[in-house]
Amino acid sequence: MIRIAAVGDLHYGAGSQDLLRPSLLHLPDRADLLLLAGDLTRCGGTEEVRVLAEDLRGLPIPMVAVLGNHDYHANRETEVRRVLEEVGVKVLEGEAVTLDLDGARIGIAGTKGFGGGFRGAHASDFGEPEMKAFVGHTKMLSDRLERVMSDLEADLRIALLHYSPIETTLEGERLEIYPFLGSYLLAEAVDNAGADLILHGHAHHGTEKGRTPAGIPVRNVAQPVIRHAYNIYTLDAHRQVMAAAGGVT
Amino acid sequence: MSELRADYLPEHIRESLIHDPRVAEQDLKVDVKEHRVMLGGNVATPQLRETITEVARELLPGYEIVNETTVVPATEPDGEEPVA
Repeated sequence: MIRIAAVGDLHYGAGSQDLLRPSLLHLPDRADLLLLAGDLTRCGGTEEVRVLAEDLRGLPIPMVAVLGNHDYHANRETEVRRVLEEVGVKVLEGEAVTLDLDGARIGIAGTKGFGGGFRGAHASDFGEPEMKAFVGHTKMLSDRLERVMSDLEADLRIALLHYSPIETTLEGERLEIYPFLGSYLLAEAVDNAGADLILHGHAHHGTEKGRTPAGIPVRNVAQPVIRHAYNIYTLDAHRQVMAAAGGVT
Repeated sequence: MSELRADYLPEHIRESLIHDPRVAEQDLKVDVKEHRVMLGGNVATPQLRETITEVARELLPGYEIVNETTVVPATEPDGEEPVA
């Protein structure tokens, strides 16, 4: 059994020192890896991410992250990534990593993702260049996620996102902002490639639990939703992967 | 710039709080009635909660600031959930 601790939307900044630290002390006894679902900083500042890096430094379990929209705000996402990687956090954007844990290969594919909305009401890359750029960004990231996940050979496969792939985990948010909270294209990408679990953040007023149309479990681990330092999910590494490529279960 | 109409004031305050690097919080609700500002939503730390009050006071001097934001707990979870 693999135990995954996950949290997003920590929004570290001045005054966040030791926000997580006390809760991380027992984490190595409770979880096999820690996944961070973006918005790790308030404004994407390197001084902000250094505060988080100090809290994570020395944690003796693998740590994997994606960045969120806040982490891009200062246009320093490359430096944010570097600071996290200096303390051992693997940061993914259209990439995957495979970890050997307890005799099982755990594959994690990650992307920030982006918005657009959901089935029946998704924005189209039609009209003004700004609209084409908005939807085009989501399509590009979703296509890349599908390719990376399809190539991921592992006993358990996890998609780590910031934006939401489904509407269910947005319940509690205002309907008007759904197009800025996620896109069904992310769910379609993972449903096509197959996975055991999808984690995301971004929707602070959303709901923790949902499933993709193909039945893959989705968990919104935004800290204001889970209201803990992290939640822990267990997965059996020896079960069959759900939702084979192109199939609907 | 013309003086802000009361109808649009809460949204301008919300926008100013998002863009103030001391706050940068998109999760805030702002309501203004008479000379009283009500702030709601989730914040990560007690310090940020205090900063939000200070910044709101700078934005609207002379208004009463009622900060009803909630500091999100960052404690360990009790258990774990089997998902697959």
